[in-house]
Amino acid sequence: MRALIDLLIQGKHWFVFLLLEAVSLLFLFSYNGYQRSVYFTTANGVVGNVYSAISSVTSYMDLQTANRRLESENQRLYREVESMKKKMAEASLDTAAVCDELVGYNIVSAQIVKATVHKANNLITINKGEADGIRPEMGVVCSRGVVGVIYMTSRHYSIVIPLLNTNSKVSCRLRNSEYFGTLTWHRATPYSTYATGIPRHAKVKKRDIVETNGFSDIFPPGIPIGLVAGIGDSEDGLSYLLTVKLFTDFSTLREVSIITNYSQPERKELEEKADSLNVGE
Amino acid sequence: MKATFFIRILRLLVILFLQILVLNQVHLLGYATPLIIGYMMVCFRRGTSRVALLIWGFITGFLFDTFSDTAGMASASCTLIAMIQAPLLNSLAPRDASEDFTPCFRAMGFWKYFLFVFIMMLVLHSAFYLLDAFTLANWQLTLMAIGIGTLLSTVLVIFIELLVRSRKM
Repeated sequence: MRALIDLLIQGKHWFVFLLLEAVSLLFLFSYNGYQRSVYFTTANGVVGNVYSAISSVTSYMDLQTANRRLESENQRLYREVESMKKKMAEASLDTAAVCDELVGYNIVSAQIVKATVHKANNLITINKGEADGIRPEMGVVCSRGVVGVIYMTSRHYSIVIPLLNTNSKVSCRLRNSEYFGTLTWHRATPYSTYATGIPRHAKVKKRDIVETNGFSDIFPPGIPIGLVAGIGDSEDGLSYLLTVKLFTDFSTLREVSIITNYSQPERKELEEKADSLNVGE
Repeated sequence: MKATFFIRILRLLVILFLQILVLNQVHLLGYATPLIIGYMMVCFRRGTSRVALLIWGFITGFLFDTFSDTAGMASASCTLIAMIQAPLLNSLAPRDASEDFTPCFRAMGFWKYFLFVFIMMLVLHSAFYLLDAFTLANWQLTLMAIGIGTLLSTVLVIFIELLVRSRKM
C-alpha cells in the first residue's frame, strides 16, 4: 500500500501531464469547428462500423421473430386479397356491358334468391327491398341487358316481373332507327320474346339490336334487350312481329342491378291525371 | 525564489508579446509560423519541479491560444515539451554540470545546447501542426510547416540567447 502511494507521489507529474493534455484537447475539440468535425466524423465512422457489426449479429437472432411477423402479415394480406377478389367479382358481374348507359343513375346491386323461367307468368325474387330504396316500377337490369320491372316490395325482398312474363310490357326500339314498339312474351322459350307495334315501313333486318327507348318511366333509353332473330307479320298485318333473342340469359342469371332514381314522380302524376280524364281513349 | 518567479513572468510576457505581435504575422509558405513560445520551456533550469514545469507550459500555451484563436493546440504542445524538458536536459547535460544549471551555451556547449533547443522545437512544432492539420491528407504541407517552423524558431532562439547572454557576460 505504502509502495503504491510512493509510486503515485513519484509519478504525480504524469497525472498532471495527462490532466493538462486532456484539458487542452477539450479546448481543442470544443472551440475548433474543424478539429471537432474531423473528430466526430472519424468517431462516428468507427462507432458506425461497430454498430453495423453488432446489428449484423443481432439481426440473425431476430430472424425468427421477423419470420413469424412476416408470416402473419402474409396471411392477413392473403385473406384481404381473397375478399377483395370476391368483392370485385360481385361488383363486375353486373354492370359491365350496360354501365355506359347507366352513368348518372343510382344502381343497387341485388342477388336473385328465387326465379322461374318455364311458367306462363314467371317471377323473380331478389334480396333487396324497401330498406335499400327499392320501390315498385323500378327497372331491373343485368350486365347483358334488361331483366324486368319491380312488381312488389317488402322490407328486404322484392318481386320482379321479368321479360319472361305474359304481363310484361316494355317499350323498345330498334337501334339506329327511331321506330318503336312494345316487347311482350307469349310463353315461348326463355331465350326469346316478341316485339310488336313496329310499323311495316321500318327497315328491319336480322341481328338488329333491340333496346329500350326511354318512353317509359322505368328504363333509361339505350339499354340493350336483344337481337332480331326472326321477322314476321302481326295478326292485323299492320306491323311486324319480331322475334327477339334476349341478351339476358334468365336461366343462369344471379346478379341484377336496380335503377333507383330514374322514375320521375312529377311525370307519373301528370300521366295519371290524363288517364283519369279519359282523353287518351 | 520570488525573484525567479517574477523573472519567469516577465520572460513569459516578453516572449508572448514577441510571438503574438510579430511572429504570428509570419506565414512562410502561407502556413509555417515559428513558435518562439517554446523558448519559455527551454529556459527552465535543471531540477525544476516537473509539476511546476507542466503548469508553466500549460499556461504559456493557453495564453498563446487565447490570443491566436488556436484553442487547445498550443496548450497541448507546450504541456508536451514541458513533460520532455527534464529528461531531455538530463540526457544532454555535460558530465561535470551542476545539479541545477540553467541551459545555455556556457553550461552545455554550443552543439549540445543547439541540439536541446532543436529537439524541443521539433516536438513543439510537430505537436502543434499535427493538431492543427488533424489529418495526414496534406502531410507534405504539414511536414514542411514543421520543418521550416522548427528551423526558424531554433535559429531565433539561438540568436536571442546569443544576444541576451553576451550582453550579460
